Amino acid sequence: MAGMRALRPALAGLALVAAASGVLLMALVMTSDHAGDRWIPLVLGPLIGWSFTGTGLYAWARRPENRIGPLMVAIGFAWLLAELTSTDVDVLHSVGLLAETLPWTILVHMLLAFPSGRVRSRLERGFLFIGYGILLPLQLLFVVTFDPLSQRCGCPENLFLVARADGVADAAQATQSAVGLAGVLALAWVIARRWREAQAGDRRALRPVLLAGGVTVGLLVVTLAADLTSLNDTAEEVIDVAGEIAMGAVPFAFLVGLLRSRLSRASAVAALIERLGAGDGRRGTLHQALADALGEPDLVVAYRVSLPDAGEGYVDADGAPVDLAPTPGTVWTPVELEGRTVGALRHSAALEDEDPGAVRTVAAAAALALENERLQAELRARIEELRRSRARLVEAADAERRRLERDLHDGAQQRLVALALNLRLARSRVEKDPAAAAELLDESREELAHATAELRELARGIHPAILTERGLGPAVGALASRAGVPVEVGALPGERLPAPIEAAAYFVVSEAITNVDRYARAAHASVTVERVNGHVVVEVRDDGVGGADPAAGTGLRGLADRVAALDGRLEVRSPAGGGTTLRAELPCGS
Amino acid sequence: MGGVAAVRDNRRAVTTTVLIVDDHPSFRASARRLLEADGYAVVGEAVDGASAIDAAGRLAPDLVLLDVHLPDADGFAVAAALTAARDAPAVVITSSHSGSDYGALVEGSGARGFVAKAELSGAALEALL
Repeated sequence: MAGMRALRPALAGLALVAAASGVLLMALVMTSDHAGDRWIPLVLGPLIGWSFTGTGLYAWARRPENRIGPLMVAIGFAWLLAELTSTDVDVLHSVGLLAETLPWTILVHMLLAFPSGRVRSRLERGFLFIGYGILLPLQLLFVVTFDPLSQRCGCPENLFLVARADGVADAAQATQSAVGLAGVLALAWVIARRWREAQAGDRRALRPVLLAGGVTVGLLVVTLAADLTSLNDTAEEVIDVAGEIAMGAVPFAFLVGLLRSRLSRASAVAALIERLGAGDGRRGTLHQALADALGEPDLVVAYRVSLPDAGEGYVDADGAPVDLAPTPGTVWTPVELEGRTVGALRHSAALEDEDPGAVRTVAAAAALALENERLQAELRARIEELRRSRARLVEAADAERRRLERDLHDGAQQRLVALALNLRLARSRVEKDPAAAAELLDESREELAHATAELRELARGIHPAILTERGLGPAVGALASRAGVPVEVGALPGERLPAPIEAAAYFVVSEAITNVDRYARAAHASVTVERVNGHVVVEVRDDGVGGADPAAGTGLRGLADRVAALDGRLEVRSPAGGGTTLRAELPCGS
Repeated sequence: MGGVAAVRDNRRAVTTTVLIVDDHPSFRASARRLLEADGYAVVGEAVDGASAIDAAGRLAPDLVLLDVHLPDADGFAVAAALTAARDAPAVVITSSHSGSDYGALVEGSGARGFVAKAELSGAALEALL
């Protein structure tokens, strides 16, 4: 803030100088003999100069970090200097001649630099070079070769005249007009492109500036074109006056645009804190407050959350996932609280150019409020995860019933139907052809044995009786003995566990062994079920090919849901070529 | 069973030809054996709806014994297709489910009736023809 204290008196000094210069200019023009239509330079000259310096100084004070204010002040003073051509005093008139094109050049500079105050791209730097590197030297060439006395206008002497060369002076001016015209047309194209690329928040600021700038530039084009084509004097004068009136309006448009563009950082933060303090905690309040503080209607607020299924990630206020990939013209700024990232804001990249650090300042002010909303967003995301997992469990149960119906229909039921038909046939033959009947009965017995085996297998898939009756140890032992590869059974709990835990642990082992048989191409597998720190930890390892993808199959997904329903965690480690380890941790207090 | 024998004797002059349509080979084999024992001539077997329609056109059986659940089509739709033609065969729908599971679908398909697979016999078919 020390900078601010030093700035204020300096700005006040500049304001005084501008006011005094304007008054002096008026006095000088009033006493001048050579300016024909005196009221125009008399009134408009100082007015335009003052409007630029006045608005520029105000903008400078409000936004000290932004260079638009200083540029506006520079245009104001350049304008006053250029107006000196209307005076009678030789030296002042000569200085005015030198400064004639300067305000226009700085105006173009400002149009390019709005609203950040900085010129960034090579194209924009190219424009500045044309302005400062070509037009100004051409003006110098004009001044050292131009003799006002040759015009018979009763003008004062040109003190900078080195050698009168009318041809050179005319050529310099014509070149200036041509280059200026081309430059201004190119500028119109650049600005139109910038408008198309602008985010909604930036457009609000650009609108008044482009309107005023566009009108001025349009009049400038007409003026320059008129210079090149030599219209009659009255027409030229009408255009000049219209141009000057438009020019007088430009700084106000810039000021409106600048103040619209974003609030000054300090007042934005103050307003934000006040709003957050008065906030009713409803969803969307924080987003609206941040969007207003930054002048960004399209602002996106993302909350960093940690979820049981999805892990670390970003969600919106409703708990829906947010993609942190930047869209064109936008950037993400992280929001931190006590060294922790609690969220991120997506905003226009121009905002960071215009007022570096402003987003971080606003973000820091809102971090605590954001943390509160973050917790709610995390809760919503967790509920959403739960809802999805619950839906999956129901779906899995339905799918399981469909599978059972199909297995029953295609398996045991068909066998029993065939059995019924065989028995009917045997019954009809038992008297006439006992041998054929006996053969049919043998077939029937075999069919019945198959049907019984299939029903047994099916029942075990639904819920193994050995698990209910004897517990996890014998059930896992039975799974291991039926596996296609040797399975070593390690530590197992000696005591019975709660039924849901036993069932979940059993199905983890069952699914793992099924996968080992089907996919792992393993030579050996091992199973352990241990109690560790209030958890039952189930682990099945194999020495197979690895590369199992938990997201690919429904088996592991369903298993993960079953484990999550018990507040447990399922983990699959399966590096390619490095075997597969399926590990489930199930909380088990007792 | 005397009634069945009588029917069989009546029919001996004009043996009823049958096409069996089911994707389960065990059922086709049992049904063929049973129906042949009951005096029917099983002239063909088909495993799905498309081949059933093809075989019915080719073999022109008197009767098509048609399973409801086929791999490529719904048995009722196949029944409707089979019975739409002139000189269409009589169609009897069969299933390992009970007929009551299907309600009015059987009647709506143009089939003569329904026989549960476990209840299949020459007499049961005769009753529907």
